[in-house]
Amino acid sequence: MRPQTTRRRARPQPTVKTTLGRKHRPDYFLLVICAALLAIGLVVVFAISPALSQAAKVSSSYFVSRQLLAIGLAIIAFIATAQIPLRVWKGLAIPMLLFAGFATIVALLMPVNPAYPAHRWVRLGSFSFQSVELVKFAALLAVAGFFASRIDDDSINDWQKTIKPLLLGVLIAGVLIAGPQKLHAQSDLGSMAVLIALVGAMCFVAGFQMKRILLGAAVLAILVVMVILPSAYRRERLATFVHPESNCQDAGYQACQALIAVGSGGMAGLGLGRSVQAYGYLPEAANDSIFAIYAEKFGFIGSVMLLGLLAALFSRLKTIAERAPDNFSRLLTCGVLAWLSVQSIINIGAMLGLLPLKGITLPLVSYGGTSVVFVAAAIGLVFQVSKYTSFSAPLAVDNQEQGRQSNDNRHDGRRLRGAYHPDLSGRR
Amino acid sequence: MALPNTHTPIKAVSRVRLGYGVLLVIIAIFGVRLFYVQVIRYNHYKTAALSDQLKQYEIPATRGVIKASDNGQLVPIVLNQKLYTLYGDPSYIKNLDKTANQLSAITGGTATKYAALLKTKDTRYVVLAKKLTPEQKDKIIKLKLPGIGTVAQDYRTYPQGTLAAQILGFVDDGGTGRYGLEEYFNKQLTGTPGSLKAITDINGIPLASSPSNTEVPAKKGDDIVTTLDLAMQQQVETTLKKGVEQSKASGGSAVIFDPKTGAVKAMANYPSYDPSQYFNVDNAQLFQNAAVSQPIEVGSTMKTLTTAAALDQGVITPNTTYYDPSHWTVDQFNITNIEEDGGAGTKSIADILNLSLNTGATWELMQMGGGQINLKARTAWYDYMTNHYRLGKATGIEQGYEADGYIPTPKDNGAGINLTYANTAFGQALTATPIQMAAALGAVVNGGTYYQPTLIAQTIDSSGKVSNRAPKVLEKNAVSPAVTQAILPILDYVVQKHNFYPGFDHSKYLVGGKTGTAQIAKPGGGYYDELFNGTYAGVVGGDSAQYVIVVFIEKPTNAGYAGTAAAQPVFGSIAHMLIDESLVTPKTH
Repeated sequence: MRPQTTRRRARPQPTVKTTLGRKHRPDYFLLVICAALLAIGLVVVFAISPALSQAAKVSSSYFVSRQLLAIGLAIIAFIATAQIPLRVWKGLAIPMLLFAGFATIVALLMPVNPAYPAHRWVRLGSFSFQSVELVKFAALLAVAGFFASRIDDDSINDWQKTIKPLLLGVLIAGVLIAGPQKLHAQSDLGSMAVLIALVGAMCFVAGFQMKRILLGAAVLAILVVMVILPSAYRRERLATFVHPESNCQDAGYQACQALIAVGSGGMAGLGLGRSVQAYGYLPEAANDSIFAIYAEKFGFIGSVMLLGLLAALFSRLKTIAERAPDNFSRLLTCGVLAWLSVQSIINIGAMLGLLPLKGITLPLVSYGGTSVVFVAAAIGLVFQVSKYTSFSAPLAVDNQEQGRQSNDNRHDGRRLRGAYHPDLSGRR
Repeated sequence: MALPNTHTPIKAVSRVRLGYGVLLVIIAIFGVRLFYVQVIRYNHYKTAALSDQLKQYEIPATRGVIKASDNGQLVPIVLNQKLYTLYGDPSYIKNLDKTANQLSAITGGTATKYAALLKTKDTRYVVLAKKLTPEQKDKIIKLKLPGIGTVAQDYRTYPQGTLAAQILGFVDDGGTGRYGLEEYFNKQLTGTPGSLKAITDINGIPLASSPSNTEVPAKKGDDIVTTLDLAMQQQVETTLKKGVEQSKASGGSAVIFDPKTGAVKAMANYPSYDPSQYFNVDNAQLFQNAAVSQPIEVGSTMKTLTTAAALDQGVITPNTTYYDPSHWTVDQFNITNIEEDGGAGTKSIADILNLSLNTGATWELMQMGGGQINLKARTAWYDYMTNHYRLGKATGIEQGYEADGYIPTPKDNGAGINLTYANTAFGQALTATPIQMAAALGAVVNGGTYYQPTLIAQTIDSSGKVSNRAPKVLEKNAVSPAVTQAILPILDYVVQKHNFYPGFDHSKYLVGGKTGTAQIAKPGGGYYDELFNGTYAGVVGGDSAQYVIVVFIEKPTNAGYAGTAAAQPVFGSIAHMLIDESLVTPKTH
């Protein structure tokens, strides 16, 4: 593969290298926010367990114990990604991506769960996981590594070396994840959107020319129209999205019930144990629709608090990306930020009737093991980055453009007053 | 390439900030949208939610029970019993054959039938068995078979078996009373269903703790206490059955009536049916209470009423004697008597009843017209039949399908109205039901008050409040008390002159009555030569008449006159039963 061969080539390293060695206290606030989101999800799953277990004909502790197991696995994954050095993960990126592709193909060949025709599940005995979550995680590392090496050898905007392989990779992913519905599964457009957002955000931050990014966005928009128009099913979904309450019985059912759940929550919510929509009215109450159930229980006040929590999470990720010690970790952090934010926006937007339903989870909050584990793993990577953050990286390499530097200094100076890294104080 | 790599971090940071800015804008839009949906449009979505979630259920009310008195105690004769309907949801069945076998072992049903039902496609509900006992239900629930469930349903149960079945009626599968008291008092017995307005899950199952739930409890139906005396009813049913069988008749009815209140103490028909097995009855005629619904030509039992009417009008006295020619010619037709009439000669009023003289009854009618059957006689007799004795119209007893009976109008129709009226004097050419006859005779023997016959002693509402049904007088002066005083000794004399085995102690008890052997009209006109109905209308008492007993035996085929051979023995047995069971207050002088 091209990224690996180019990376081995000897080249002068920028000053970034020196800052990597300076390890300091990681961003524990990031952990607090993630723990809060996990707790909110667990509490909601616990509260609607009677309804869920009754419908699924399982014991009343089934869903909570499964989610606790998932959180346990997520903690292990987090520790692994936070402790094992990033370069090791960088090295594993391509094998993981290959494995994820293989798993996706296996999942495509397996009979689908009729309840989730768009999901690619790999089942091994009683254990099953959604291969697309591994794809996101592996793509995150692989693309970050690839772009970092292209930035290093100054070919990030090179058509042959960067853009062509990238487009090829995205095309393969698109065929596997959102491809034609020849095999058992339906196309998983929601996950594809998240993947494109993840890669697109890294392209943007890696320094792709603006006109190329705009061109890519335009091509994507045309593709989306081409995908939607020939499919009656998707046209219906789109029509449903435009007027959700015109079609509450069939295609718009879930969208309607989600809005009813959110709206009937009112200002203060019905209360933790008082959700009614979870009792069979709103499909996927614990997974895709968990935000609507949360909004029903905790009302406008609770919902805004949850949005604030998400905003705080994104703010931490943004700050870590700004202060990332090198291009790889910055791109990685931006990828995670794009992943979590776009997935949250698609999920919540659908519950609020602002976006079409896409069948993806609300990161860390939704019930579902695979999503929780891989999101935790991704956050572990960022957590590791947060141990090496510094202001010097963007500044040290930017002596050529004084105007931009001073501009950035002003921003950073303002943020410095709230800085939490003791080793950074007094660096100016 | 266009841009040197050293620009990347600066550009990267600014682009991160740009992206983050977009993110914040989207989150802000979400916040505004949340405010719109949750605060501004709250009422809209709350209404939409409740229209889906809030469902109203009817809570069925417990049906009232029916009671009768037994030795002064009230005992239930119709009760409710919770039985269980077994159902299956074919989409949940695992291990079909095992499930079917386990169920059939408990219910006694056929396993293959269950298996076939549980394989039904496109349905979530198949009824496998009905009326399972609580024990059977518990056994089935213990098996925890997936897709198998039970649902409770109230069924009527009859602690006294088939007793009084045709009076009671039954309750059909839909919970509606059919025939008898169950139909007549259906609304009162049903009670008022309650309602539950509750937030439910998508399958309509109420969620326990919702503040929006409102419950209006069901109001139990009224209990009904009948006038029936359990012991008398049992005896009458047994006696009637024996009588019908011994006289090889096609059926019969018997009534014990309290002339002082109008209360029906016993009322039976044979054949009857088992109300707990009503669905196995092919002939719907069996559901009807023939004593109320089936009028017949009553025959000579009518002569008691004719005599009482003539006495009340003062056209005869108890001591009147007259010359009986043993036949009259009316409208060119001969009215004759049975062979044992003793021939032409001077006859007393008692002879008319004792010898059952058709000519005597006709003579009494003539006296009402001043010596001949004319409009005056007809009008006077018609007035007595329809107004004093209330024949030809339903009594209003609390039973469905009551018949009016038929009394010909006195107007001259140019087709032998005088002959018709002569016939009515001895019980032909008119029809009446046993209950009509009992109530009319009751008025004659109680001093002249016509009480509406009733089966209801009291009703008890859901709060326990008892409402007694007061005796209802429909006619105050049916006959004068003097007529009662005159007629009772004559009826007692008739019984003494007829052969009862064993006989009665007439010094202690009043036992009186009159037989009837009624010709049966052919559908096309005229009468059958060989078919008769046997009837009897009598009283039992001490100083006064305490019980009126009316017996109809339909088409007996044993030897002798139907009234004497078939109906009289049933009356005799019932009268003896009342005396033997100390249910009659003896004479004090």
